Parts: sequence; structure tokens; C-alpha cells
Amino acid sequence: MHCEPFEYEKPVSLREFESLYAARADDARILAGGTDLMVLIKEKLLAPRLLIDISDLHELRGISWDPRQGLTIMAGTKIAEIERSTLVKEHAPALAYAAANLGSNQVRWMATMAGNICHASPAAETPPVLLAHDCELIIGRQGGERTLPISRFFLSYRKTALESGEYVKAFRLPPLPARAAVAYRFKGLRRAMEIDMLNIGAYLELCEDGQTVSDVRLAMGSVGPTTYRAAVTEKKLKGMPIGEDFFAAACGGVVQEATPIDDVRASAEYRNRVIGVLTRRALEECLEIIGARRSAA
Amino acid sequence: MSRHDFDVIGKDQKRKDGPKKVKGEHEFADDIQFPMMLHGRIKRSDIGHARIISIDTSKAEALAGVKAVLVGSEAPIKYGIVPQMPTEYALAYQKVRFYGEPVAAVAAVDAETAEKALDLIEIEYEALPVYTTPEQALADGAVKIHEDNKFPGNIAYESDQNFGDVDEAFKNSHYVLGKVFKTSYVNHVFMEPHCAISKFDTNGELFIWSTTQIPHYLHNHLSKVLQMDMNKIHVKVTGVGGAFGGKGEVSNNELISALLARKAGRPVKVLYSRKDVFLQHRGRHPIEMRVKVGVDKEGMITGIDYDGTMDGGSYGGWGLVILFYTAAMLHLPYNVKNVRFNARRIYTNKPTCGAMRGLGGVQPRFALESLLDQIAIDIGMSPYELKKKNAIGFSHETVSGQVVRHSEFRKCLDQAVENSGYLEKHGNLPFGKGIGLAGGYYISGTAYTLYMAYKPHSSAMIRVDNESGVTVYCGATDIGQGSDTVLGMMAAEKFGLPFETIHVVSGDTSLAPFDLGTFASRVTVAAGSAVCKAADNVLKKLKPVAAIQLGVSPEQLEARHGKFYSVFEKSREIDFWKVVEKYIDAHGPLTATGDYTPPRRTGDFKGANIGHSPTYGFSAQCTEVEVDVETGEVRVIRVTEAGDCGQPINPVSVEGQVEGSIIMGMGQALYEELKVGKDGRLLNPSLHDYKIPTAADIPELKTTFVDSYDPESPFGAKEAGEGPIQPVIPAIFNAVYDAIGVRFTEMPITPEKVLKALDEKKKQEGIRS
Repeated sequence: MHCEPFEYEKPVSLREFESLYAARADDARILAGGTDLMVLIKEKLLAPRLLIDISDLHELRGISWDPRQGLTIMAGTKIAEIERSTLVKEHAPALAYAAANLGSNQVRWMATMAGNICHASPAAETPPVLLAHDCELIIGRQGGERTLPISRFFLSYRKTALESGEYVKAFRLPPLPARAAVAYRFKGLRRAMEIDMLNIGAYLELCEDGQTVSDVRLAMGSVGPTTYRAAVTEKKLKGMPIGEDFFAAACGGVVQEATPIDDVRASAEYRNRVIGVLTRRALEECLEIIGARRSAA
Repeated sequence: MSRHDFDVIGKDQKRKDGPKKVKGEHEFADDIQFPMMLHGRIKRSDIGHARIISIDTSKAEALAGVKAVLVGSEAPIKYGIVPQMPTEYALAYQKVRFYGEPVAAVAAVDAETAEKALDLIEIEYEALPVYTTPEQALADGAVKIHEDNKFPGNIAYESDQNFGDVDEAFKNSHYVLGKVFKTSYVNHVFMEPHCAISKFDTNGELFIWSTTQIPHYLHNHLSKVLQMDMNKIHVKVTGVGGAFGGKGEVSNNELISALLARKAGRPVKVLYSRKDVFLQHRGRHPIEMRVKVGVDKEGMITGIDYDGTMDGGSYGGWGLVILFYTAAMLHLPYNVKNVRFNARRIYTNKPTCGAMRGLGGVQPRFALESLLDQIAIDIGMSPYELKKKNAIGFSHETVSGQVVRHSEFRKCLDQAVENSGYLEKHGNLPFGKGIGLAGGYYISGTAYTLYMAYKPHSSAMIRVDNESGVTVYCGATDIGQGSDTVLGMMAAEKFGLPFETIHVVSGDTSLAPFDLGTFASRVTVAAGSAVCKAADNVLKKLKPVAAIQLGVSPEQLEARHGKFYSVFEKSREIDFWKVVEKYIDAHGPLTATGDYTPPRRTGDFKGANIGHSPTYGFSAQCTEVEVDVETGEVRVIRVTEAGDCGQPINPVSVEGQVEGSIIMGMGQALYEELKVGKDGRLLNPSLHDYKIPTAADIPELKTTFVDSYDPESPFGAKEAGEGPIQPVIPAIFNAVYDAIGVRFTEMPITPEKVLKALDEKKKQEGIRS
């Protein structure tokens, strides 16, 4: 494949990587799995001068659990590792499910979650779940780091809040309260290897009575320039009792807040209609999970 | 189940190519490398329809590493798989007719350099209007896409056939139903892209390795376009990673590799990308069909009226043949006395349509099986009963003169219905769930060559000696369907030897005797007959030798279990290889040939030669679906199939063909569609955006054989590779009707269409109530 020539560096330590990236941030691209990046380069949509391969930085790999901080997933962790991790399956099963539905097996063993969010496609699989979890991002740069809620990460189509020289270092998913659950639903034309026509991550938390909504987050994909939360609807739903009115308000709300377009995968009309269906199914699944956990306890 | 007691035939046989493919050892075209080999790449048009004003290749030629640049005027010789109507050039000459047409080509030291050089070629076009639909191409004042086309405007070909009196039949019918059906623009999506390597030796002889179904026609076209004697050209078929008809025409890359190799004086490989494959295309013709069927009170078909407009794309290809196949396919597998056929194939500015698995059958089958289903429901009869009543018997001659010498189609209907519980389920499943039935058939070969010739369609030679064993030489081409295995099994059965000991040399015009190629499901019957005849001729030479050794007459000898023995006295036996040794000691090398010519049938109407076949395969399917009425998703849950392929030679391979057919048909029914922009550009020429079913979409598949044996076929066998795709699509559509009461007539059934149709249905019901 003919593409513009580029330099290639493979740092062996995080420090080396950070200093290299700080010096060349403007004409460099980070190569983690390459499953999106290389496609863009081959299609001549990107022509970076330098690729910095971080796939061997062990500091950026791994999944850990801390009862107070929650689940920490380092940025270079492969999607397939997230899909298979017992920690993820236990504490963020919807994320394991979304990971399992990203691309093909081969792609999942190459791709990373940081790559999935930095590519910032509105159809990406993991952002709805990360938004539903209200995940915190740890953003690294030479000589420091900062944290950023993922709800402030996606700025517009394929644009993120990363500043020059910054990179995504880790994801932190806070522990789920009792009586809370996250679910992920998607719709593609076929059942695997799809770019979704629609997807949604839902978070539902009930009050102690088990009947009243204490908190809800609805993160929609493929209905706008980025994955984003239906903030107005979320506010409306808080304090509502679980029941048909709640579901109707949720489904009606997301349709109001969705701003889909017609594209090769689906029409705006279809998306508007089915985003409500997926929302209901995701919220029902959250309820089921909460109910099952309760009867188990 | 077979009426014959075989040792090899009918037993699942592990293919020799199987383990090699799994381990990456099987040699495909792109695996082949030669010293000094160059890589060829193709410059494609970025305009849908235009006159070429000028091509400036000077900058490309000046690029370091570029060894040859080629343009259309260097090979301005038209070719086409239908030799009477050649329409294509190796590279566009004077005009481009679709967006992405090959205009120039470069051979360079590596692929990157060749691609870089393509960007340096400057082409000036004079734009012409782009027609992406038959309606546009047929509009008054439309520019002719082919100026020398002898039909009016952009009609590539048109024809009509009329048997009986359809109008009269409809007048006297109890019920007549007509609908408009539309099929979509779909590609084969074989796994391996086209690839060809050409090499000229010092004596000027051309050797070409290519992934093709038709080494003979490639041989023939190379001779024409390169203006070389055929005996100076050697075509070698490599491993073929699927073809399904898409490699059943000469592809531009083959001619370009040869032309570039000649110009550069070095071997040249031209490998296609997936996008190139979509542009080479030759997929299924989208057809808009207006079809009417009449029945009497008993549900017997009184007549069929068919009007079809085929979107052919920019070139001729197999189009003319497919048009007449479509005509022939209206007559079976039911007994129909009155048939009217009107059809035309239209040139449009799109990649060319051509031969694709089950060609000519899939579109009319979709329309007819859908209509028969609806008619049965409308007159209060089970679709099974109606189809069974009309199904042809054991043998049949259609009003168009096609002779079916052997059919077990009724058994197929019975077995699929029984195994699926169709009668209990149909009409009785809850809303959203449904079951559909459809039948189908396909030819097992053709009666005529594409050019006028009287030579046998298939031939084989068998060589037997004590050093190399048994070697079967046959021009047939194994394109992944497993014909090398099937032909080897036939020889093994004839000689009474294990299959593993038989070598098959195929797909090589220098080594193997003549064969037409792999298409029209012809190989098992045609090449199989040739191999059987050659084997019989070997045995004719060996038996007298064995007979003298054993002191019995040659007629009472049988070759089995590695021995010749007397059928009357089994203890009188002699080792097979001992007899071979004695024969060669006495007479010299042991070889024999065999050949096959199908029965020639015709009639006194236009297209009467096309559609005849020595024998026909049949099948029926009951398909169960679930429709998500909120999202519109249609999910195929289970397909129960019963097939009449005669005696299956290698049952596991037949199952593979059936399962592959079902999945391929399902993709076309539910997902697949090449989308075309207004400028003629393909919008989804990648496997990222063109969706074929994945492993996660595959339903439960229950495939069975009906008891069948065609006594005139080699070992009783008939086709199995193209028949089983015929019922797939209408069975799904009929099941969707059973599930939600919506009769779809346009492929594919996408979730959007389902939701819209359900809305419409609700509205109608609201109006009615």
C-alpha cells in the first residue's frame, strides 16, 4: 500500500514515550493497536510524520480493582483483554459485553480502548458504556497528569478534549452503588463485525425503596456528531417511580434529544424511532440486574 | 440409501486440499513469486461515462522503478465471454463506461512504486451523461453507452418467447395474481481477490498463473487480445479461493498482466484489492420483474406471464446467456403449459453484472415462489399442497422442449415439509414468527459451447503405472467446490483403489486435455463422465491381462479392494498392480482417454439452444424466521433443506455447498446491496460497508438428501452447487409473510423496510376496521 513515508519509534519506557511525544506532538501520532489509525493512513486521510508505537509499554497495560477507587483500566489494554477480564465481567459487565462486540476477534486483540475513544467516532462501542459509568479519564503528559470526566471528553465529530502533548493514560470506573446497574444495547444490520446503526449505554440507580429512580444516565451513539448523554431527559427521570410513565418519558426523551442524520447505515427516521426501543430495553435490563442482585442478596 | 454398493462413492471423503488450506500450504496465485517479477497496478477512471481525450503517461514513465506503462490503444481488441458479441477491452479504449474502469496500468519494481506512478498519469476526459438505472439509460435522447450496439438506445439485448396462449389461460383461470419484484445489485464476495502472474520465456511463449474458473476461455481470449497462437500460451490455474461465477469471465487483470509482462520483458503480477474486485464485479443482475401467475380452482398453474428489465451494467459479459437462462427457468420445477417471456438487458454506467451462483434462476424463482405462496394462501390452500400438485413427476418435457430425464422434486417437498413440521407451523405461529416454503432446481451443465464447436465439452486422460500410480488428467477446474476430490473418487471407485492413491492434475491447458471450465454446475456430470469413460477404457486394457492370469473371461472380472477377481469365484483374484506391471511389460505405457458431449437439444425459437441440460438437480427448503417488530430486524432461525442431487459423490462436500448456498442467499435476502452514487461511484466497495452474513448470523441448518439416483449420470450424480440457492430467498420472504403478514417484493428486507411496512399495514387495518 502506497502512503506518505513516516518515521517510526518504539519507546521502551513511559518516560521515553512522554518526552518523545512532548517534543513531536504536532506531527506525531500514537500507534497503539493501529486498527483505526492505519486505515486512515492507508486511505490518505492522515499523513503523520512520526508514529510512536506504545504497544510494548507495560506501564500502560493492565486492569485492577480497588474497592474505593473502582476499576482501573490502563489505556494500552487490549479490547480482547477487557472482554475476557474477570474483574471487568464482575464490576462492569456491560463494558465486557460492548468490548466483545467491537470488530472481529483479530481486531480486538490489536485495538485498545484508548484508541476507541480517541478516534472519537460517534458509532464507537465503548463510549456509551464509559459515559453510563461516568468514567474518569486520567490524561497524561510529560511531567504530569490530570483527570477529566468522560462526559467532557468528546467535543465534536472526531474531536476530543486532549491538548497538544496529552494522551489518555487510564480509565477509572467508580464502584457501582448498591441498587445500580449499567446495560449496553446496540443495533447493527448483522450480528457481528458491525459499525452500529445505533447504540446506547444506560445507567440506572434506584433509591432504597427499590421503586424510585435515584439517578439515571443515558449515553447515545450514532445519533449525533459524538456519543453524548441525554442530559435533559436524565434530569426529568430522576425521582420518578419505576413504571410505564418512566419508560415512556425515557424513550420519548431520548428521541427528543437525538439528532441523527441519514447515512449509508440507516436513515435519521429509523434511528429516531429505534433509539427509544433500545433505551427501554437497556433500562429494563438494568432493572433485571438490580432485581437479580437483590434476590441473590 | 444408494441403490449401489460403493466403496468410495457416497462416503465422506477428506479433501487433500483441506489440511493444506488450513496450514497455509495450498498455493494461491498471490503466493507465486518469480525472480525479477514486477507488480502491476491499474489506474481507474474517476468519471462514470466519458470520452477519453488524452492520456499523459510521461511522468509515470519517468518515475524510478517503473518498468512499463500501458494504455488501451496498445491492445484495442474487443473480447467477451460471448464471442459473437465482444464489448470489452483490456484497458478502456476511446471511452470509459463506468466509474472505476481500468484506463491505464503500470508495472514497477514494487506495488508502492506502481501505485505512486498511477497518481502521475494524467487523463483528460470529455464527460458524458451518467446513467445508473435502466430508466435513465432508456430515456428518450439518452446517449448510447456502446455506439456500435445494434439494438436501439441502451438495450443490450431483448427477446421474447411465447408458449401456449397465456391470455386465454388467464381468461379461464380461477385466480390470477401479479406483482412487481425487484432484486438487488449484489456481488459474490469470494474470499480470494483476483490475481494473475504472466511470464514470457525467451522463446516468446506465455505462461500465466491465474485464479480462474475458465482456463480454456482465458487461453482463447489471451490469444485474441495479444494476437498470439494458442499453442504458445500456457494457462495454469492456481488454488482458487472461491469464485461463484465471478471468475467465470476473463478479468482485466489477467490481460493486463500479460500485456505488461510482454512490454516490460519481465514477469508481472497483478493482484486486485477488494475494491478492484467490486469494480470487476460480474455479480447478479438486478431485475425488475412484472410477473403474473394464474391457477384453476384446484390450484393447478394455468400460465405464467413474465416481463423483466435487467440492469446489466456497462458491458456485455454473460448477459445474453443469462437473459435466456431466465427464460428457461420459468418452466420448472412445475408443470406449466402457457408461458410468456419478455425481457431486455440494459446497459448502464456501472460495474458489469454477470454470472453468479444460480444465475438466471434466482430472480425468477424469487418472484414465482413468492407468488405461488400468496396464491395458495389467497385461495385457501396450503402452499405445500399447491406446489406438490404442480411439481413435475419423475421425468418431464417442458413446453419449451427442455427434457428432464430424472427428478425427485416431489420427494424434496415432502421431506423438507416433514422434517420441519411446516404443516403444523405454517399459519399457526405467534405474530413475529413464521415459516416459509420454497422449491427450486438447477441445470447440471449446458448443451452448447459459447462458440460454435462440435468437440467434446469435457475430456480426461488416465495414466497408470507402477511408479507414479494412477494419475487423472482433466481440464476441469477445482475452484474450491472440491471437483478434484470428486473426480479422484470416481477413478478410485472404478479401479477399486483407495481415494488417497489417486492423483488428479487439473486446470492446466498444457498438461490436461480439453474442458470448457467450471460453470453451469457442469463439472460432476460432464468431467465425471469423461473420467469414468477413461477409467473404463483403462480397465478394458487391464482386464484381458488379468483374465489370462486367472483363466477366466474378462467380462466376469471386477476391480475392487485392490484386486481383480471373478464375480463368480472370488478366490480367483490377482493384485491390481501386478496386472498393471504385466500390461506394461507386454504393451508399454498404460493410458486411456474418455470424453463427454451432452445431448444437443434445441427448438425453433430465439434462444432455443440455451437452458438445456443433460440432467437437473432439485431442492426444497422450509425456513423459519423471527421478526423483531420494534426494531425491524429479521432473523433466520432455522433452515430445513431436502435436496435431490442424485447420488451425492462426496456427501460432506454437498452439505458444504448447500450450507454455503443458504448463507449466501440469506445475505442477499437480508443485508447485501452495492450502493451507487449519482455519478456512478460505488459507495460501499469494501467488506466494511458491504455486509455479508457473519458466523454470528448463521441459522440452524438441517440439510438432507432425498433418495435419488440418475441412472444416466456418472454414479447417479447431479448438480448440488447452484440448485440449493434457488429456494433460499423466497423461503425467507414467505416466512416473513407468515410472521408479520407483509408480502415483501424487493430485496433486501432491511429493518427500515420492515418498520415502514408494519406502519403501512397498521394504517390499512385501521382504515378497514
